[in-house]
Amino acid sequence: MSPVRIIYTLSFFFTLFVVQESAVSLIHFPISGFSLYLAIAISLIAFEDHNGALVTGFLAGMVLDLSPSSNAPFGQWALILTSIAFLFAINRDSIADVTASPVTFVIVVAGGVTLALVSYLGFGALLGEQNGSLGHDATVLGGNLLWTIIFTPMFLPTLGRAHEYSLTARER
Amino acid sequence: MARGGGNRSRLLLVILLVTALFFITLDLRGVSLTKGSRSVTQTILSPVQRTFSTIFSPVGRFFGDVKNFGKTNAELKQALATNKLLKSQLAEKSDTKGQLAQLKAVLDLAGRGNYKVAAARVIARGSASSFSQTITIDAGSSSGIRSDMTVISQNGLVGVVKSTTSSTSIVLLLSDPSFKVGVRIARSQSVGVLSGLGSTEYSLVLLDPSGTIKTGDILLTNGSEGNRPFVPGVPVGVVVGVDNSAASLTQTATVNSYANLNDLGIVSVILSAPTSAPSRPLLPTPNPTVTVYVTPAPVPVLSPTPSASPTKKK
Repeated sequence: MSPVRIIYTLSFFFTLFVVQESAVSLIHFPISGFSLYLAIAISLIAFEDHNGALVTGFLAGMVLDLSPSSNAPFGQWALILTSIAFLFAINRDSIADVTASPVTFVIVVAGGVTLALVSYLGFGALLGEQNGSLGHDATVLGGNLLWTIIFTPMFLPTLGRAHEYSLTARER
Repeated sequence: MARGGGNRSRLLLVILLVTALFFITLDLRGVSLTKGSRSVTQTILSPVQRTFSTIFSPVGRFFGDVKNFGKTNAELKQALATNKLLKSQLAEKSDTKGQLAQLKAVLDLAGRGNYKVAAARVIARGSASSFSQTITIDAGSSSGIRSDMTVISQNGLVGVVKSTTSSTSIVLLLSDPSFKVGVRIARSQSVGVLSGLGSTEYSLVLLDPSGTIKTGDILLTNGSEGNRPFVPGVPVGVVVGVDNSAASLTQTATVNSYANLNDLGIVSVILSAPTSAPSRPLLPTPNPTVTVYVTPAPVPVLSPTPSASPTKKK
């Protein structure tokens, strides 16, 4: 990933983070909430090649770590999203090109978001954070899974085109 | 499983993971760099949040209300009638009126407790990306707000100030799983600890092994040293269920809070308070019923008509 693309990606994630924290978090969803940020971050990780996925995951995590409402230590999201990006990168060839089938892509993104939140809970538990009862956590995970499945197809085509446009001729 | 790239990829992965772990270690060791970055982010976010709060407040509940589809016809009629009423209220700037009512109520509670408060509007809620339950309010250190100050609504305790910038503050809500507050039962003065569970219910554990809890018991904050983070005497909630398990050393109970944390518009941060608990509990008062006393007017005495009025004799 070129330095220019790193700056673009960082700017994009920060803008997305502002939208998530200022607008999306104000919407009262019936079951838990929806993290547009995580859904788009995981989608972009899935679009990228091996190194690109790792850098994208790390940058997405670093920006998410800036969340003032978070109780987690700074760097926790970076660690989790980099690990998930690594999982996506090494399994990319074995599960075929997820971007070729929109349905598979949505399922993979929803799974990735859920895995990210479960990892966040697990890592938080190791660090002694209190994240609520099992029922509450299950509701948050289930709600995020549901809303990710519903909303991802809406932004996927635009995101795909935007990602294609952002690639340099060499990266294409 | 395919191989995960070459040596450069592995090196990149290691560098990124080590960097993340480095930041985590710094944060856990209390280095102010990481806390400062979040404070800067909050400063950048607050004007945007304020703008979005104004734009989104009428439509923010749209998705939440979708689950109310499929109600019975009677409920639908009632909803239509309510809707009509609400529309007329909307015409009268109901939003402003509602906020004013909340403000009056919360100031009333603060006044009864002799608290010096700073009122603030809720401009954002905690992110869905984290499991913590917080709100952002549009008053900060320039209004005298500092971290670890008690936050109340018209009905009682809402939470505690977690961090501040000059114009905004983040409040950790009572329902957050990491939230704990010392409470006393108004009836018996037994002391216990109330914990958030991440939902609308709370867990109470009595500290006194001989103490008893009854359903309907009212809980008030016990207060902290120097009134921070908690001032004494603020209503917290009411006991709705008691766990009488023989295995536990002390009694535990399930509690419902007085404050509705899903419907917060205006809150107050207690800047200073009397060191002792208020002389009488600051329980939420029901809306007063207007009583009109009608005193019959005295029977009017027929006055002479103007034509019959005496005239001056010339």
